[in-house]
Amino acid sequence: MAHPFHTPFFAVFRTEVLLNSRRVAPYLMALLCGGNALLWWARGPASGRGLATNSEAFIAGVLPIYSFMTLPLFTAVIMADPVIRDYRADIGPLIFSKPVGRAIYLLGKFFGSFFVLACGQAAFVITLFVLQWFSRPGVTQLPEVKVVPYLKHFLVFVVISHLVLAAIYFAVGTLTRNAKIVYALGVCFYPLIICYNLFFLNGLPSFWQHILDPLVMRWGQRKGSNVHTLSAEAFNSLVVKYDAELIINRAGMLLIAAGILTLVYRRFIIGEPPQKVHFSFLNLSPASERISFEPVSNWIEDDREARRTPVPLPSVSSDNSGIRASFRKLSAALAAEFRLLLAERSLVAIIPIAVLLSTMEVIFWPARGDGSYSAAYVTNIAGNSLLFMIGISIFYIGEALQRDRDLNIESLVWSQPISNFVLLFSKFLATLFLVCILLVSVGLIAVLTQTLKGNWPVELTTYLRVYFWILIPNAIFLSAAATFLKVLLRDRYFAYTAAIGIGIGLFYMYSQGYNGRVYNPLLFRLWKVEDLVGGNNLSQIAQHRVYVLTVALVCLALSHLFYQRRSR
Amino acid sequence: MLAIEGLNKTYQSGVHALKGISLDVPPGMFGLLGPNGAGKTTLMKILATLLEPDSGTVRMRDTDLISDKHRARMMLGYLPQDFGFYPTLTAEQTLHYFARLKGVHDRKERQSLVNALLERVNLESARKQKVGGFSGGMRQRLGIAQALIGKPALLIVDEPTAGLDPEERARFHNLLAETFAEESVVLLSTHIVSDVSNLCSNMAIIRQGEIIASCAPSEAIKELSDSVWEATLTRAQIEPVKSRCKLLSSQMYNGMMRVRVVSRSERPGEEFTQVTPTIEDYYFSLVSQS
Repeated sequence: MAHPFHTPFFAVFRTEVLLNSRRVAPYLMALLCGGNALLWWARGPASGRGLATNSEAFIAGVLPIYSFMTLPLFTAVIMADPVIRDYRADIGPLIFSKPVGRAIYLLGKFFGSFFVLACGQAAFVITLFVLQWFSRPGVTQLPEVKVVPYLKHFLVFVVISHLVLAAIYFAVGTLTRNAKIVYALGVCFYPLIICYNLFFLNGLPSFWQHILDPLVMRWGQRKGSNVHTLSAEAFNSLVVKYDAELIINRAGMLLIAAGILTLVYRRFIIGEPPQKVHFSFLNLSPASERISFEPVSNWIEDDREARRTPVPLPSVSSDNSGIRASFRKLSAALAAEFRLLLAERSLVAIIPIAVLLSTMEVIFWPARGDGSYSAAYVTNIAGNSLLFMIGISIFYIGEALQRDRDLNIESLVWSQPISNFVLLFSKFLATLFLVCILLVSVGLIAVLTQTLKGNWPVELTTYLRVYFWILIPNAIFLSAAATFLKVLLRDRYFAYTAAIGIGIGLFYMYSQGYNGRVYNPLLFRLWKVEDLVGGNNLSQIAQHRVYVLTVALVCLALSHLFYQRRSR
Repeated sequence: MLAIEGLNKTYQSGVHALKGISLDVPPGMFGLLGPNGAGKTTLMKILATLLEPDSGTVRMRDTDLISDKHRARMMLGYLPQDFGFYPTLTAEQTLHYFARLKGVHDRKERQSLVNALLERVNLESARKQKVGGFSGGMRQRLGIAQALIGKPALLIVDEPTAGLDPEERARFHNLLAETFAEESVVLLSTHIVSDVSNLCSNMAIIRQGEIIASCAPSEAIKELSDSVWEATLTRAQIEPVKSRCKLLSSQMYNGMMRVRVVSRSERPGEEFTQVTPTIEDYYFSLVSQS
């Protein structure tokens, strides 16, 4: 019998671990998880209440919540592309020309990636474990050092939950060969799990709630044994025992994971998946390329081809100089950008989610009756859509500017007689258009909701004022700033990281009271609907908007200047 | 017509890709032949305005291609070695897009041009197909169609037949031969010798960033006339032959070695028969010299 370390499974597993160890995501996840543990230890729910941070109840209590928080996103990132990566690098055929079966390959890929994921997740419990040797005022710890509870509860509350999630993401990524769908699923996880809990689990009897709770977040809140009602002493001495419901739940999750992996095994094909010749609406993605064979009739017979006289090309007039020609080329580039944008599969998921989350509050919660209803509605959607405006501007500009490189069309486009302004502005305008679609959709839904709820009068001018003075200039600024950042840093991931970093830094400053207009280009928390009616406040806002649009213009001008048609 | 003078390019990695290349390219099909890594693509990218040389000039019809990039792009058609298209656009939409970027704004004119191009490259029936579904040969033909927009004075075609099957290669050769127009330069870069011998009236050989020969293929063959010999030998027989004459190529065949040598003065041995020289022989004779 072969040594376990010399089997094809271990070879695939080891290589997968090695490949993942070269990525940033596992380290970032471990860092965040470790930091999270430190935060929960020092200033978490146990702090100042006499609850020991190394008590079994604390460990078992925090792990399901920890499992829910950011981990699903990392699970999506790590489990999306183990197989896609091989096919992208064209290494799939090389692997399958060796005596490696589909099952071995898929299991090696899955468990290799899952092992890395679990190692990253383990940073949380490892940090908590190490912190047993440290003390801090307000933090209570039991004198005896615990080892087994960390391991045991981590496996039960985190690893098994994420095994199912990982299996789902792995299955979707492997079978569709499209990582973007998995990322979209990762983003959708939160609304889905919240809806599942609110609309499905809440209506079930307690037994079924515990059986069907995938993240076992309800398990600690059992009838009559809620840990929150226990004294510190009782809490610290609590011994956590797994009851039948939990064991059934976990066993069920393991079975589901096994079922999903079996499905992947049955559906996975070694070659490129067969695809229809024509795209369906949901099958649109610039990243998907297929090979088809030209019908024989195209070339008919070779001798006929040889006799074919060359088709003369007509003489055409061309205009490549002057502003008019540039604008005509811009309109051509813009038309192509719109076509590509419409073919962007992620939009099918992201825009509806963004619209839904931006309008959820006005749909489900009663609007305040004081003052104008329209003002309350538009203020609410303006605030809630801000995050999506920022996200869409940054990521879609990044992707649009990177697309030509990814599709290897850069050299064809760059060798055309067009100025940088045409290349950049078309992508800027397409992204701005996308953000405007989001804003208009959100606005229309708000107006409709207000009408249906009977919160009269519907003051359209109030909406228009907010859009004119606040939202549209913000959208222009965000798209221009994102363009500049991408052009300056060239690498899209650097640009994303820088943009997120700058955004977090600025919003942190605003939350600390440093909220000057000069460095608050979005006028975050600096406007009210009443300010937009007229008077001194409006003139200050108007000045600020001119300032913001000027900055946007400067960003675009600098982008034009720094943009280099630099060949690889 | 196309005058390249003292072109130098060193990459940041320290690779000296072009070492003072000078070349006069007359109108017609011009082949640039060289092994992988010789500097062909670097030279093509510089001519296509996608790469900045460290020094040197490139002039075409009184236009400096290095300093006046916009004008250069107006007279340029470029088919790179590796390229892609937007897979969700159809063949027709793709050509319309590139025609508009090339300044063909009149809708009727553009439509007739696109129709003619699609017919020329035999893609009329695939005009409404999304490019993402094209085979390698179809994509290559669409590539040449976009390069022909605006009747370019300089058509740069970089390794166009690499990866194509023999049938598709023959079609592509026909297509290139058809596209050649008087007063225009078609610069074909390749490492496939038969591409040059089939198509080009003039050629240059580049090796390690230097032009080691520039002539017409017929002249090259003439230079080796009556001096190329072929024989099938055992391995042991090759060594003495090497000392007597220059070995051009050797190839395993049925356990023996089929060798081609150059010998101008006398027959290299009893086993040798005289053969008609090819461009490949000329290429190998130069490469082994240098």
